[in-house]
Amino acid sequence: MATIGRAIVRVPRKVRKGQAFKVQMVITHPMETGLRKDKKTGKIIPKHVITKVEFLFNGQKVTTIHSGPGISKNPYFAIMMKVGGSGNLVIKYEDNKGGKWEKKVKVNVA
Amino acid sequence: MITRRDLFKVAGVGAVTLLAAPGAVRVTHARKKISIDDSMKEHLGVTLSQVKTSNLINVKAPTIAESGANVPVQVKANIPVDQVQSVTIFADNNFNPWVTTVDFSPTNGEVFFATRIKLAKTSPVRAVVKMKDGSLLMGVKEVKVTVGGCG
Repeated sequence: MATIGRAIVRVPRKVRKGQAFKVQMVITHPMETGLRKDKKTGKIIPKHVITKVEFLFNGQKVTTIHSGPGISKNPYFAIMMKVGGSGNLVIKYEDNKGGKWEKKVKVNVA
Repeated sequence: MITRRDLFKVAGVGAVTLLAAPGAVRVTHARKKISIDDSMKEHLGVTLSQVKTSNLINVKAPTIAESGANVPVQVKANIPVDQVQSVTIFADNNFNPWVTTVDFSPTNGEVFFATRIKLAKTSPVRAVVKMKDGSLLMGVKEVKVTVGGCG
């Protein structure tokens, strides 16, 4: 099984100044609702979901996504961004079982 | 030796357990579906009828989704991003209608958000934009689901 919490982030290779660009990400995560039952044992599968995703650009908060069991397995998120210059985009995300991860991406503004 | 009395006792215990069994099942299913009004009240402080529908908010989702486990939803609003505080997505017929809340900042450039959501059954998908002045605007798209995705 793929590792829980691994993320793939995609940004354009080069961004023109003053232009909005799309940031896409996919996190590997089961997103269990806590309502489903294991068919073999009949026990409820405990809730395990991503609760928060934060996008920070050069330390400044851009977007915060509060998510829950309504988001699909292996969640996909896309947002738009418009920045003045190059910098680092840091994405912090966590789940309800205490998992915390961070992903860093460089944004090149030409 | 088994007397007639013993037989009655056994039968009686059996009847009691039979009667108790449906009750026990009901207890595990006691958590009831949250209604869209309750969910909206919890997350936005208003009920559904108090939110105005606006054509400035564009919700893009398939009209018919084959699987409810994975429904792509895209929200776009023709409103300058510095006036917008957050976008909340609801799916009426889900066990918990609240799906996600996204907080925006002026660095976003435009109000845009895309994700994939779960739908238990055919349901309107609502995107409610909360403005910085506190007003709410809603966009709706009805999605038909052939196979549900909430277990």
